[in-house]
Amino acid sequence: MGTILKCTNLAKSYGTTEAVKNIDMTLEENTIYGLIGRNGAGKTSLLNIITGSIFQDYGEVEIAGKKINRSEDIEDLCYVKEKILLFNHVKVMELLEIASAFHKNWDWDFAKDLLKMFELNPEKKFRQLSRGMESHVGIIIGLASRAPLTIFDEPVLGLDVIMREKFYSIMLEDYSNYPRTILMSTHLVNEITKIVEKIYIIDSGKILLHEDMDSFRNKSYYVTGNRKGVENFIEGKNVIQCETQGNIMIAALFDTINDKEMHNARRLDLSIDGMPLQKFFTYFVDGRNHIE
Amino acid sequence: MKASFDDIQPIFQQIADMTEDHILNDTYGEDEQVMSTTQIAKTFQINPATAVKGINLLVNEGILYKKRGLGMFVAPGAKEKILTKRRKMFYQEYVVKLLEEAKKIQLSAEDIINMIKHESEGY
Repeated sequence: MGTILKCTNLAKSYGTTEAVKNIDMTLEENTIYGLIGRNGAGKTSLLNIITGSIFQDYGEVEIAGKKINRSEDIEDLCYVKEKILLFNHVKVMELLEIASAFHKNWDWDFAKDLLKMFELNPEKKFRQLSRGMESHVGIIIGLASRAPLTIFDEPVLGLDVIMREKFYSIMLEDYSNYPRTILMSTHLVNEITKIVEKIYIIDSGKILLHEDMDSFRNKSYYVTGNRKGVENFIEGKNVIQCETQGNIMIAALFDTINDKEMHNARRLDLSIDGMPLQKFFTYFVDGRNHIE
Repeated sequence: MKASFDDIQPIFQQIADMTEDHILNDTYGEDEQVMSTTQIAKTFQINPATAVKGINLLVNEGILYKKRGLGMFVAPGAKEKILTKRRKMFYQEYVVKLLEEAKKIQLSAEDIINMIKHESEGY
């Protein structure tokens, strides 16, 4: 599979604050990626650099093989920011018309369907919209543009659970029919675990981890049981969190467990359970902050 | 039919297992079309690449076959293949676990056999 985005050694500081520290990122064509990180981890700065919205101090960005320069129109890209600025007096329909002019794959029929699905009145002015409705407009632009590289920064901000589910379903269906690369940042870690194929975890301006979701599932486990048994079992394994309550121990592992070990664990009466991404994220990011 | 996925197995594996279950209980007969990967992705809100991976697993085992432009279909003899495979797994997946739990709660093999006899008489 080809590469749609390649960033090398990106760095950006604001005064003495390093927002992005030497980030390398390569996104394949036709893949959905999740970018997760805490508030202030550098997600938006990174996305702004990738899309040429702000200029990096160092490093290079290539989209579809072309080097990106600032303020240049990138035809293979659709970037939906967390907040759409400068368009307060424009009607929703006019905003879609502006967006359509920049994207060669824009699908008007789909955009009109989306307006209905997200219950948006196209005649409303942008400033009359609620936070959730603003997000709807961003989602419509991001999806209807069908750009080879679509980047959403917090697309579901302000959306209730029903609208979020609607967004995920529509996106997955449209992506099946029109494959492209989608990179979305989000706080709602558990909601995207089945939706994205790969994840990037960012913290303090650095990429801590990038992983295929299938291989992630094959190496994130809880081991629970008798303390001695758990201690023996986790020896030599990558343990990211450990908790003891009396004689009971719960260890969170980021490591593979083979069939023989699974069998052994059962024999020793240890229980092995999958660890949700959100828990992993908390231990992994929070644990590192304690060490540093 | 399951409507949600557990955290311990890869989702593509769970998609493959689910489709096999549908073939075992005759929801899908031989040469009948199964759900498309797009339908699976939309219904279960999973990444379409994951759905494709799960379905391809079954194609590689000869349980499903592809008709170009039409979709995925149940291969002749698929049910037999699944039965053979699942029976092989039955000992490890069920009998061993059953005996381990029985040991934990101090049930003898004889107790278990009696339970099984009792249960089958009930039917």
